Amino acid sequence: MTTMDPSTTPLGQMLLDEISPVIMLLSTPAVEDSSLKNNLSFLQILSPFSSFNNIDVPVRTASDQPYRIHKFKLRLFYASDVRNPDLKVAKERLKRVITEAGEKVFTELTSDAPEIDQHKKLDSSEYINTPSWFQFVNKELVRVASFSDHEAFDHPVACLLAVSSKDEKPVNRFVDLLNSNNLPSLLNDGAMDPKILKLYLLVHDNQDGSVERASRILTEMRSAFGTSNCLLLCINSSSDAPIKHEENPWASYISDASPSQDHGCLLNIDDINEIKDLMQNLSSKHIIPNMEQKIRVLNQQVSATRKGFRNQIKNLWWRKGKEDGADSPNGPMYNYNSTESQIRVLGDYAFMLRDYELALSNYRLISTDYKIDKAWKRYAGVQEMMGLTYFMSDQSRKEAEYCMEHAFNTYLKLGSLGQQNATRCGLWWIEMLKARDQYKEAASVYFRICGEDILHSAVMLEQASYCYLLSKPSMLRKYGFHLVLSGEQYKKCDQVKHAIRTYRSALSVFKGTTWSYIGDHVHFHIGQWYASLGMYDVAVKHMMEILACSHQSKSTQELFLGDFLQIVEKAGQTFEVTKLQLPVINISSLKVIFEDYRTFGSPSSANTSEGLWRSLEEEMIQSFSAAKTNWLELQSKLVSRKHSQSNVCVAGEAVKVNIEFKNPLQISIPISGVRLICKHSTITDEGSLDENKSSLEDDNSVDHFKDMNSDNSSFLVSDVDFLLGGGETTLVQLSVTPRVEGTLEILGVRWKLSGTIVGFHKFEFSLPKNIVKARRKGKRSPNDKFKFMVIKSIPKLQASINLLPGKAYAGDLRQLVLELKNPSEFPVKNLKMKVSDPRFLIIGNQGDMKSEFPACLTKKTDSSVQTDAQANNSILSDTVFLFPEGTSVQGETPFLWPLWFRAAVPGEISLYLSIYYEMEDISSVIKYRTLRLHYNVQVLPSLDVSFQISPSRLRIQEFLVRLDVVNKTSSECFQVYQLSSIGQNWKVSLLQPPDTIFPSQSLMAGQAVSCFFTLKKSNTLSTFEDNISTMSVTSDVRLVPQSSEDLVYNVNSAPLVNFHHYERLQQELSHEVDLNTIDFVLISRPLKSNNNLGFSDPPHVMSHHASHSSTASTGPISWLLDGPQTLHHDFSESFCEIDLKMHLYNSSIATVFVRIDTSDPVGISGQTNSFDAVQSATPDNQAGWHDVSTVNELKVTTSNALETQPGKALSLEGVSPYIWSGSGSTNLHIEPLSSAEIPLQICMFSPGTYDLSNYTLSWNLPSKVPGDSNETKQSSGKCQGYKYYLTVLQSA
Amino acid sequence: MATTACFIIVSRNDIPIYEAEVGVAAKREDAAQLHQFILHAALDVVQDLAWTTSAMYLKSVDRFNELVVSVYVTAGHTRLMLLHDSRNDDGIKSFFQEVHELYIKTLLNPLYLPGSRITSSHFDTKVRALARKYL
Repeated sequence: MTTMDPSTTPLGQMLLDEISPVIMLLSTPAVEDSSLKNNLSFLQILSPFSSFNNIDVPVRTASDQPYRIHKFKLRLFYASDVRNPDLKVAKERLKRVITEAGEKVFTELTSDAPEIDQHKKLDSSEYINTPSWFQFVNKELVRVASFSDHEAFDHPVACLLAVSSKDEKPVNRFVDLLNSNNLPSLLNDGAMDPKILKLYLLVHDNQDGSVERASRILTEMRSAFGTSNCLLLCINSSSDAPIKHEENPWASYISDASPSQDHGCLLNIDDINEIKDLMQNLSSKHIIPNMEQKIRVLNQQVSATRKGFRNQIKNLWWRKGKEDGADSPNGPMYNYNSTESQIRVLGDYAFMLRDYELALSNYRLISTDYKIDKAWKRYAGVQEMMGLTYFMSDQSRKEAEYCMEHAFNTYLKLGSLGQQNATRCGLWWIEMLKARDQYKEAASVYFRICGEDILHSAVMLEQASYCYLLSKPSMLRKYGFHLVLSGEQYKKCDQVKHAIRTYRSALSVFKGTTWSYIGDHVHFHIGQWYASLGMYDVAVKHMMEILACSHQSKSTQELFLGDFLQIVEKAGQTFEVTKLQLPVINISSLKVIFEDYRTFGSPSSANTSEGLWRSLEEEMIQSFSAAKTNWLELQSKLVSRKHSQSNVCVAGEAVKVNIEFKNPLQISIPISGVRLICKHSTITDEGSLDENKSSLEDDNSVDHFKDMNSDNSSFLVSDVDFLLGGGETTLVQLSVTPRVEGTLEILGVRWKLSGTIVGFHKFEFSLPKNIVKARRKGKRSPNDKFKFMVIKSIPKLQASINLLPGKAYAGDLRQLVLELKNPSEFPVKNLKMKVSDPRFLIIGNQGDMKSEFPACLTKKTDSSVQTDAQANNSILSDTVFLFPEGTSVQGETPFLWPLWFRAAVPGEISLYLSIYYEMEDISSVIKYRTLRLHYNVQVLPSLDVSFQISPSRLRIQEFLVRLDVVNKTSSECFQVYQLSSIGQNWKVSLLQPPDTIFPSQSLMAGQAVSCFFTLKKSNTLSTFEDNISTMSVTSDVRLVPQSSEDLVYNVNSAPLVNFHHYERLQQELSHEVDLNTIDFVLISRPLKSNNNLGFSDPPHVMSHHASHSSTASTGPISWLLDGPQTLHHDFSESFCEIDLKMHLYNSSIATVFVRIDTSDPVGISGQTNSFDAVQSATPDNQAGWHDVSTVNELKVTTSNALETQPGKALSLEGVSPYIWSGSGSTNLHIEPLSSAEIPLQICMFSPGTYDLSNYTLSWNLPSKVPGDSNETKQSSGKCQGYKYYLTVLQSA
Repeated sequence: MATTACFIIVSRNDIPIYEAEVGVAAKREDAAQLHQFILHAALDVVQDLAWTTSAMYLKSVDRFNELVVSVYVTAGHTRLMLLHDSRNDDGIKSFFQEVHELYIKTLLNPLYLPGSRITSSHFDTKVRALARKYL
């Protein structure tokens, strides 16, 4: 770049064009008339020949060294144009040009935005990329500032006077033309020297006659004005035919040239040559020598007045003196003969004749003067010229730029006065920067010359953007930003097409940007502007990009969507687009539900994992899978290999697709007509597809999306409408129902947004991880998930469980009805059913249907043995329930079967049922089907029941049962109705009448109650074998007062007994009947009066089961010491001998070996123990030992107090107060379930109360007991004796 | 406190991963996009400038009318950019340094994928608190 000749740069060219000598043209109307025959003005005729590329003229200015000029140009202006151009006209012209350019470019604009290719761009020069009309605009802007009085290069160097030979008295006409009225103000007001070089040109039109007259006039002229200054020009020589110029020299000079006009049609080649010669002559013989001479004269004058130290001091002194002069923005007026003006003229002339050194020295000289004079505009003008001179002489770049910046800033400071000059200066500065590849800096200058004029600044901003693009490295983001800024300005002055053009260019930068606001802004505005031009389809395309603007504020979202819908509406056609962003489809939520041999009773059952169903159905389907040779051929027998590739669905049955729609906006959007896009084809043999619709080719696949509206008989799709609120996500279930056999493929989903625009989404899975649904094993191409083989219609059972509550209290027992329906005409057979958890749901007997609930649970008068037997049967067949042989479901009448439900534990209960059935029609691909039902029940806690059993101390084989009931509900009241025991011949009975336990007959919410029962062996002693067969014998106690209507519930009835069985299983207890255990069933009812809100269907009966409460707390044996409680004895006579009896009972089913060891109390300690024990222990009484009666205690204590004295006295003697007088140890065998009696004797030596617990019972079970697998069961043990108090009183 | 201040974190892939308007001036609807435009364009300048200095704080790199863009480039070439109209060089430097620390803490979170959007509300509150403190 450093070697570059400045004059070859664009700026150099520009300066050669714009800063060149001006010739003022004055012509008579006759001259113009002759010219207009060529459709040209006289000026226009001359213009093309006023610039010379190789004039080769020697020039000698101030120095003695001549040099040669090759390129030279003259600028021709009519005298009337030598003035400040009219700003308004210029602006109008600019606007017209820009608008035209906008129209032109816009129509050329292809639909796709131009791609900015880095490499392509770097290769091409600036002027290829940037719009050509920029140069025109810039030139116009430069010219607007011309003919200012503060600079001299626009001042005419010479005046060319043209008079036609036709004119009357041509010589007088020349004088008339020089009349001061015709001259520009510059000459008249003294801004420039009125003594200007005058050239007299006589124009002769050859059509008017011969040249003779012209020659005569010329001679006349020469005598009047001098020989050298008079010239003759003959034009319009071609009289016969209009000449077509191959290369029309005028074309480029006339802006509004239209091809229809023949410019210069009367000018033949001789004329043109004559004009050429004339102009060359003018330049080399008149203009240049004249300028040379003027330079020399001025230079001498300047040297005389200003050069040298003395002059400088003088000048400075003189200028200081007039410091307080006029302070107008233009500074003082400088006359043409003032030294300052002369220096300026000298500089400008030197510049025009390329003597840059001379020019520079003069500019420098004058610059300081103007600065001191505060003539800012002149100062700026000189600075500007200094910058240009530096540039042209290729001297210090820094200086050049500094001068330009200085000039620019100074012009700007002048405000509106300097605006045009600032613009011109800026443009030159920019060109200077561009010539040196400083594009970035150039761009910032462009940015600075944006004035108040909007259109002007729009163009400047756009040029700035191109500078950023051209800078190295290119600044694409700045480019985009300035394009957008420029586009906004264009829009402001109604240049919509330019605005669109700039934004579209910017789009190439911002395409796919993650800077959301930027992308939205650009797309939205392009969309809006296209819409304003009526190009709705393009507008819609752009607006679609910004629909999912979740980051924007609500009002902006409303604006975007509103505008979009408005544009779509205006467009007046339905758009169908594949990438509609609203709403967002969550493709990972996609789930396809279809029914082949598996059918689902409810959506929730389809959502349950396949594994769970498989494990449930395993046993039922076993019969079928057994026929297969091995697992590899799982499907091959049923479905041909080819079809095994795709899923199977049944004609007439819907394939459902669950898909999630998400609204990213804060405003709600209406979605309508959501439906699946499907393709159905019927299959002929050998797999050749008889396409029902268009072909499978990918190119046509879009067509599937389009021609959805054509009604299709081969399948039916569902339509869903919904409103998506702001930020909402909705799961939508869509379905397609094939009607005929063949292949069904689901291609995608379509929907309508706000009823105007249709969106599509194609189901495509490029990534396998996106596949949610994996119902089938085996590897297939992902899109096969959406391909179905449609087989002919087969029966499908429908089932429902009636009366199943959604919410229940724990323990709630209900009878439910399973209703099976078969809408098809073909019957199904071999029905089987399996329930996931029989603890909650058991299958009843058909007979249950007839009986009424809950009455069927109550005890009837007739024997209950029958029901027992049935119950046991169903218990044992725990696996698959087979419906009775010959059960066939068909037609309208539903098939009903009872079920029993019990809410066993609080919490969420999931009930799974699977019903298996086979087709009568075996020709079908599918031979059997299963129906899967899934229900959820929420179980709330109700009563908390606990039992505590302790042996009675009064009677052998009698126990006390403590029942604690807590009502855990918050609002419910329950009636604790009945307690039943299930166990080996146990009989439970009340200790207190029910009224005293439940005075209000109910248990309020949160209330806790304890009540007591006695438990006795029933009288009927049945044998061991009997007990096994009839599993349980029950006894019931009613806890409510007797009334006529209330009946006792039969805990032996089938549902209760079965549930009880599963409760026991739940607690992992063996089936073995232990004679020492007892199960309780507490039956409660809600109070009828209680109207509860949460339940539509209040429970009737609730059962609470407590299993395996053991009566044998100490081991297999129980015993009781029997004897008197109080006796009177006269100890003075003898010691007292008391006979006691010990009753022993073996409750186990084996013979027990028992040894009883008695031990005598050891001296004092024994008695003290007994004494203490008496005081702390509660004495026995008939009512039981739970109730501490203060009265009793008092009595005992007092009696003890009375009797301590003798005891103490005796103890001092060191003799134990009593001894066991029988054998110290007794051994015996007790047969199973039998009792024994041992006599014991005790000797008392003194009166008192004694605790006779100092004996131990050791028992031993023979280890050979068969079937005793329970390791934890004790085989031997040792028990300490009970406390037994005996009071012996001294008899009176 | 600056009247206008828009803070943005740009990942090394030129994707904005955190944006916050931290100025006190009432938020204008079109301001958000203008701020984004200015900051986005300033990336061009940062791209050149970042390699000319070893300092992380690049001071003000670009300006648009009265709005100035200050940038801080982390070692991983994540750019913290602040668009502001106040002249508080020291405050901005401190602000950047503290936010850089916060950003590093975010990076240390094993659940944060570098280059992804910072959605932590904790981060957001901290940044706003720092803005109140320094700007």
